[in-house]
Amino acid sequence: MEKTKSNINRRSFLKASALLGGGLMIQFSALAKFDLPAKSVDGINAFPWNEINGYIKITSDNVIKIINPNPEFGQNVMTSLPMIVAEELDVDWKKVIVEMGPHDSVKLGAQFTGGSNSMRMYWRPLREAGATARQMLMEAAAQTWAVPVEEVTAKAGVLGHEKSGKTASYGDLAAKASSLPVPKGVKLKDVKSFNVVRNSQKNVEGAKIVSGKPLFGLDYKHEGMLIAMIQHPPAFGMTFKSFDGSQALKMPGIKSVFSLKLYEDGFEQGGFDTRTFNDVLVVVGKTTWEVMNARKKLIVEWVPAGDVKDTMAGRGGKREVVVPGELENTADQHAKMVEYANKPAQVLRKDGDPETAFKNAAQIIERTFNAPFLAHNCMEPMNFFAHVTDEKALLVGPLQAPGWTEPTLVKVLKLPADKIEIQMTRMGGGFGRRAYGHYLVEAALISKKVNAPVKLIYSREDDTTYGIYRPMYTATYRAALDANKNLIAFHVKGGGIPEHAIHPNRFPAGAVDNYLAEGWQIPSNITIGAFRAPRSNFNAAAEQSFLDELAEAMGKDPIDFRLELLKRAKDTPVGKNNEYDADRYAGVLKLVKEKSGWNGPEHKKFSRGVAAYFCHSSYAAHVVDMTTKDGQPYVERVFSAIDCGIVINPDAATNMVQGAVVDGIGNAMYGGLTHKNGVVEESNFHKYRLIRMHEAPKKVEVHFIKNDIDPTGLGEPPFPPVFGAVANALYKASGRRFYQQPFSSPQPSAIPAV
Amino acid sequence: MKIRIRTFVVTSTLILMVAVMAFSLDTSKSKAPFVVMKRDSIASVAAFKKVYSVLMSPRCMNCHPAGDVPLQGDDSHLHAMLPKRGLEGKGKYAMKCANCHQPTNIAGLNKPPGHPNWHLPPADMKMVFQGKTANELAKQLLDPRTNGNKNMKQLIAHADDGLVKAGWNPGEGRTLPPLSHAAFKKAWIAWLSNGAYAPEAKK
Amino acid sequence: MIKLNINKKIYNLDADPEMPLLWVLRDVVGLIGTKYGCGVAQCGACVVHLDGEAVRSCVTKLSRAEGKKVITIEGLSENHTHPLQQAWLELDVSQCGYCQAGQIMSAAVLLNENKKPSDQDIDDAMAGNICRCGTYLRIREAIHLASEIQGKERS
Repeated sequence: MEKTKSNINRRSFLKASALLGGGLMIQFSALAKFDLPAKSVDGINAFPWNEINGYIKITSDNVIKIINPNPEFGQNVMTSLPMIVAEELDVDWKKVIVEMGPHDSVKLGAQFTGGSNSMRMYWRPLREAGATARQMLMEAAAQTWAVPVEEVTAKAGVLGHEKSGKTASYGDLAAKASSLPVPKGVKLKDVKSFNVVRNSQKNVEGAKIVSGKPLFGLDYKHEGMLIAMIQHPPAFGMTFKSFDGSQALKMPGIKSVFSLKLYEDGFEQGGFDTRTFNDVLVVVGKTTWEVMNARKKLIVEWVPAGDVKDTMAGRGGKREVVVPGELENTADQHAKMVEYANKPAQVLRKDGDPETAFKNAAQIIERTFNAPFLAHNCMEPMNFFAHVTDEKALLVGPLQAPGWTEPTLVKVLKLPADKIEIQMTRMGGGFGRRAYGHYLVEAALISKKVNAPVKLIYSREDDTTYGIYRPMYTATYRAALDANKNLIAFHVKGGGIPEHAIHPNRFPAGAVDNYLAEGWQIPSNITIGAFRAPRSNFNAAAEQSFLDELAEAMGKDPIDFRLELLKRAKDTPVGKNNEYDADRYAGVLKLVKEKSGWNGPEHKKFSRGVAAYFCHSSYAAHVVDMTTKDGQPYVERVFSAIDCGIVINPDAATNMVQGAVVDGIGNAMYGGLTHKNGVVEESNFHKYRLIRMHEAPKKVEVHFIKNDIDPTGLGEPPFPPVFGAVANALYKASGRRFYQQPFSSPQPSAIPAV
Repeated sequence: MKIRIRTFVVTSTLILMVAVMAFSLDTSKSKAPFVVMKRDSIASVAAFKKVYSVLMSPRCMNCHPAGDVPLQGDDSHLHAMLPKRGLEGKGKYAMKCANCHQPTNIAGLNKPPGHPNWHLPPADMKMVFQGKTANELAKQLLDPRTNGNKNMKQLIAHADDGLVKAGWNPGEGRTLPPLSHAAFKKAWIAWLSNGAYAPEAKK
Repeated sequence: MIKLNINKKIYNLDADPEMPLLWVLRDVVGLIGTKYGCGVAQCGACVVHLDGEAVRSCVTKLSRAEGKKVITIEGLSENHTHPLQQAWLELDVSQCGYCQAGQIMSAAVLLNENKKPSDQDIDDAMAGNICRCGTYLRIREAIHLASEIQGKERS
């Protein structure tokens, strides 16, 4: 048994023993007849809940509700986080119902979906919440039965006392438990004894999804709600000089047309306050269609904004930043990157004497890899509901990080935090995009201005052309080999618009005596943000592709070559800040080698590529088997090996890895966003190509390393190495290396076989 | 007096509209223009070259692909989402042409162009344009075994087929064929009425 | 007033006949199961059945639906019992779930017209529906499973 110090403070154990009214009882009885495995149940907030702690509410009729703290965007935390609570609380999972919690960092912790953080962040707190509540229920039983608490058992929602034969449901004693002091240092279960966690449990909102129940931000409705859309400038680097909204205002259903300034001059932007266009036009009306139509009637004079000064706060302290006003073109961006790549850059890490090693090399291999901007393309476009009055604000919608947006709302709305209520709906995808809450701020300011509840809706084009993209990246990798083809030095110099991707302390750092990592960046008005495995999603493509080429030059098997490097990193690591665990890294490579039957003659008909990567504290390796279909390269099968520690919900985790593989193939092959005079050229899916059914593999076989390590990230880690594995398979298939993403042209003109 | 005149004007406009609609929507019953047939290979081939420039433009070729998937856009790329021809040329399952292509065009960029009878040539008579030389295409258009069993009169009438004419009403943001429909029709008839000669096959 | 038959219920709607069916369903009728994804018939999130065909409601004008039978995800079955819904739940297909109503509505037309679809048939029917989370493998598997469930239910 593990011992733990409670992280749950007194304030999180708020008591709420609702009085039982007749009406409530009737409603309850009616609902209680439901078999409750539907899990996520509506209309039960009137229940007389006893709040044991912020995550657990129990009725006297033994309905157990677990509150999910972290926003759900498809990573299945709505199910997997409550599973952790249920495990330690020791209840029958089938009888648990689950509810999304509001933004409440006191009761529900940091509440941030992103960075593959949910499990890492909540593993201990949720176990403690469950175990502590269980302990309180046991204490309540002990007091009620006048027996020592050590003699009370709690299993599957039932409290018992063997000697006296007394039993009670959790519900029987929930009211009493909720009034007890919160114990400290409760015992946690042995992870080997888990029977909810580590067992596949179905998505608690699955039935709602397949039957079209309201779940998402766009589905949210509110009495008297109006619809708003913004018109942002048509190009990065532009703003409006003047506008005439009179025609738009005359259109049917339209209530209001105005301009909106998001942040006042000098506003100190936090890290996630990124917004692309500070001045936008707004149309507010009755229905989405009417507002869309009216917006077309806006007459606007757009002008270049010129250089713009921003005040940044947060990491790095307060500073002024100049955002260049240029209307950018993709071809120029490429040319500029070539120019910058030849300039001196910031040294990020240096081991040994790489300069001398390169000077003495018998052979130097140098390759440059490029990747375009990527748009997140969440299937549900950005939107948010806001109802702001002079006294308070209610905001409801899809958001990854309420705790990061709330301080901004406090400043912009000039309301105290406790007057701002944020509720998170299920998100139609996130991928990092919904960590940037500018659309809440816009919605809030619009609601304040029109003095009404409003839902702000982005059209698909608004969403795609707004910015907050994966940056445009480049990196040049160099390797020095001696006369015996030993790797004696490794150099990576990477840049990006407006950020580079280099992780200087990741593999193969630590495995090579002479190592140099450098980075540079080009400022731009094209705004960027986190995109599923930020930076890693490029590094794993470039570095893993380069290692493949290096292994070939050295006459080595690509997996064996990596394992040799990892052995070196384990036995005699170079440098001190190596981020990865060489054993776990090697572990996924060995597992994928075994499961894929690497080098097995029966796989000759496929062009095979392998890649592995470490990020978000987890390890992933893939073997990609490529064939052709309709004359195009086609990834037919993938073998994946993952080490993310304890797997909470195995089938859902498998689903996530399969999805990450499909997403990786799609973005590697087809993803890309280009600019012409600052205008996005791929404004919708007719040009922005996303992977479709016929391009998805027939099989993605997922294998998890079995260990008892506390769970680490899974949403992101399987994604980056797909890019490298696809590039390496393409080489096997075509005999040429692929250095420029996307690997396929945006729209193939080849004709599929009839 | 005034009222009567207005009524008269409205009625006649309505009749005119009905006539136009009938002509554009239902070509099977519309009569082919009266054409004098003669033989002039030079005039015929010259006319076909104009016809060919139209047929090979994206507005025509995109629905006469070499494969079973239509083409899309001014660059004639493979239609995103790969809708298949199907036996009747109307698509398959959840991807039938009319699921997206409406009876009429709809406002806005990048929206599917519309026509009530949107389809590809059927599977048993594919009438491929893509990749064909002028010689091959001319012969294919004339051969009743490959042209849907059309005789000269029906071929001439086909210039006014509703879906053919939809090429000149392609929806926002799409380029028009290189000739106007009138010029195309004139060239089409000139080609056929001067002996329907195919341009020489290039070696 | 436009009379519309949605999920076997008659609605008399005072709405612009030019309004896309998608927005009629979502904003006027209040059936939000049908999703807005792209507005240009590219992603399939808005698929509904119009006289049994899987039309994209984002480009289908209200006037086209008049006098026809509209079925949305809400009306596909009572209590999510359609073989596809059963299969989707059995295989826990969804990730974010936003596209899945459209996926199911497209797949329903496939299963109506082809009781035992092959992988190729599924490609032909489903390539018009984008899933950004990449659940395609499970969608494919679920359609095969639904075909089996459908076969058993009919026998």
